[in-house]
Amino acid sequence: MKKIFLICILVLPSAAAAFDRSELTEFNDLYRNGRYEEALEGYNKVTAREPANPWGWYNAGNAHFRLNRPGPAIFNYARAFKLNPRAADIRFNLEFALRQTGQKLVPESVPKALYYLYYLLSEGEIKALAICFFWIACLAGAAGFLLDGAKSGTAAARTALLGGVICVAMLAWLGARMTSTFSYAGVVTREGGTKLLSGPGANFKTYASAPEGKLVKILDWTDDDYYEIGLPKEGIKGWALKTEVEKI
Amino acid sequence: MSRFAPSLLWLPVALLLALPPRPAAAYLTVTADTDRSEVEINGSLYLTVQVAGDSSNVPEPKIPNMQNFNIYSSGRSQNISIINGKITTSVTFTYMLSPRFIGMQRIPSISVSNGKESAATREIEITVTKAAAAQPRQQTARPTQSRVGRAAAQRQAKAGSQIFLKAETDKKSAYPGEQINLSVKFYTSVPLTSNPQYMQPALKNLLAEDLPPVRSGETDLSGLRYSYSEIKTALFALTPGTAEINPATVIAQVPSNEPLDPFDANFFQKFMSMSGMQGKSREFSTDKITLEIKPLPKGAPADFSGAVGKYTVTASADRQDAKTGEAINFSITVAGSGNLKAVTAPKLPDLADFKVFDTMSSLDVRKDGDLINGKKTFTYILVPRAAGSKTVPAVTFSFFEPESGRYRSIQTKALALNVAKGGQEAKSVYFNPSGAAPQVTASGSDIRYVSDVPRAGPVADSADGINRLPQWLHLFPAVLLLCTFWLSRFNRFKSANPLLFRFRQARGEAARDLAETEALIKAGKTAEAVSLLYDSFMDYLSDKCGIKVSALTIKKAVEAIKQRFPGVGERSIAEISELWSALELRHFAPSAAEPEGARDLAKKYSLLIEFLEKELKKK
Repeated sequence: MKKIFLICILVLPSAAAAFDRSELTEFNDLYRNGRYEEALEGYNKVTAREPANPWGWYNAGNAHFRLNRPGPAIFNYARAFKLNPRAADIRFNLEFALRQTGQKLVPESVPKALYYLYYLLSEGEIKALAICFFWIACLAGAAGFLLDGAKSGTAAARTALLGGVICVAMLAWLGARMTSTFSYAGVVTREGGTKLLSGPGANFKTYASAPEGKLVKILDWTDDDYYEIGLPKEGIKGWALKTEVEKI
Repeated sequence: MSRFAPSLLWLPVALLLALPPRPAAAYLTVTADTDRSEVEINGSLYLTVQVAGDSSNVPEPKIPNMQNFNIYSSGRSQNISIINGKITTSVTFTYMLSPRFIGMQRIPSISVSNGKESAATREIEITVTKAAAAQPRQQTARPTQSRVGRAAAQRQAKAGSQIFLKAETDKKSAYPGEQINLSVKFYTSVPLTSNPQYMQPALKNLLAEDLPPVRSGETDLSGLRYSYSEIKTALFALTPGTAEINPATVIAQVPSNEPLDPFDANFFQKFMSMSGMQGKSREFSTDKITLEIKPLPKGAPADFSGAVGKYTVTASADRQDAKTGEAINFSITVAGSGNLKAVTAPKLPDLADFKVFDTMSSLDVRKDGDLINGKKTFTYILVPRAAGSKTVPAVTFSFFEPESGRYRSIQTKALALNVAKGGQEAKSVYFNPSGAAPQVTASGSDIRYVSDVPRAGPVADSADGINRLPQWLHLFPAVLLLCTFWLSRFNRFKSANPLLFRFRQARGEAARDLAETEALIKAGKTAEAVSLLYDSFMDYLSDKCGIKVSALTIKKAVEAIKQRFPGVGERSIAEISELWSALELRHFAPSAAEPEGARDLAKKYSLLIEFLEKELKKK
């Protein structure tokens, strides 16, 4: 009886994984046969159900790219990149799509290795590590206080100090990432680009435009219909319709 | 020492031999040519840049910044020839140039570099002439505009619009993959204060391909003279159903007609903006166009892979005589009009006599007469397995022809090859016979394939799980840390101040002893109760006075209390002495310890402690 129970426990997750795999493979078959719109519908279902799965976003980006929609493609790749910045395929396709729209993933002034180190972990992973090291620091600190005066107490105190330093470093890294290109950012997804207005309404003057696929900073998202967006490189900011810019 | 001298002499020679050999001559070449040397300002010409090298990878040319021409990439084609194992590659890059200024214009030198060698083209001079006379130009422009479109423009002109934007397609229904030309025309009868900004329409179920250059001219509409600019785009539908071309937009600065009021509060601002020719920003949009996309008829051939247009197909080999193990370049070229980018390679028949290696496809797209046409060549490397007279069978290519509404299957001619028996060196194909490891080089670039990975991964899943924990849970280690910190401080205080700690604890311990005494009296153990009371009293005084019990006498206790606590009165001192004596009496003479007497002593002890605690707090 115990054996049957154990087998059930081991088999059920793998059966579920096999189901998922076959579903994704099914959409990939559509993609392979050039039925990109249908494949995209499938990938969209995957991203709606599992927004933390970078591969759903990545595959959706590929389908958009094949349909000659650079804006939505970059948006989907950027989402995937935020979730798994270490994946070489995601990084390659994002870089490729950005290059097609005259942009670069790695700024010229920054060494590539340093940039990859900066994006070694996703924001979720950095946050989780900061939490783990906070727990380690607190528990080791508590042990240090309890074993006050003993040798093991000193070791615990050192561990606590190290954990605290790493926790602070993680928080600093997370803070730095909050100001990076992909945080509080959006992508112009409207074909043909979007207009930048001087205020949140159609009655305001159009004074610039941002091409499709352009990575922009979202400065204000409180309005119902418009984002205030900024183009740091060009030194321009303005208001664009929320339907034309997707927040990453 | 002399024994080693000859070997030392050989060292520089050996080092020299170890150095990689320098190439005897430069193999990288680049040439540039144009299809004409004279062009009208509203015309265009093709620039062909051919880069050739002795490896399978040749660099892309660096097109210099040209202010005098608008440049549009128009495809690339590649040719590889392998003779005696040596690769010669030639890549032709085609660009469409539309001139921006009249007069003698120069296409600057175009350079290529593969890191080791560099090459550059010569400059090319192009004479850009004025456009033909206005009347003929108008006539040439007119055929591109349908009767319906012109009527619509006339209506706009009659309605008194000085500036308007019109979009039209050359057909309202098409098959998927069939070319539809979209024309967006911007008419103005007034001068504009700055260059208008064009925003392309959003497309649904359509792929777009630019048809440069931007045409411009003048035309009469309802008696008014209009200048116009026309942007054309080739569209290809993706799937049957409907396709949509959403409004195209032009933002233009038009001169403001508002009269200038000298008494206006903003007079100077308006005056300055007039002098700066900053007009009013206006937006012009076209109407939305819906197209019907018909489904392809049934009965498609088995090898039909979605090609729509009008094509021819040819097959060729770079030579007819080869040896076993030698590589033969076999190319299938699909040429004609249609969306060549979407054309996939025809399926090769079974070639049992050859090893087949896929190599690459090259594309050469032309846009003459607003028709997307050109050729796409799929190149394979065939390596004969055995000697003899071999045949590469005919290759079939099927496509749908929109003009006739029928599928067509066309074939290449079969190719006969004479294969002789190769030598020992011809058993394997070497693309680089120099002995060095063959280099893997990219012949193009594309996005990477979709992923089959079903989950984010264990690291990301764990991180997600941690981040989903309730926030209040993270207070637990912080509270634990604070508690242990307090406990540690308390223990340190206790060990640093034992007398003070005993002084503070004395009352609590006395209270516990009293409770125990009551229990003993109730149990009839009067002697033990009195003994406990005596010990408790001694401990209490010891804790309060800071003197060991063994060294405690009434005299010492009284002196210590008077010295340390001057606020303690004579009555308290007397009470202490009295209780001490009574306890000593009953402690050392157990027969005198009656239950009532013991209870009285306990009560006295309790009252004395209460009284003393108050007195000890006095300064």
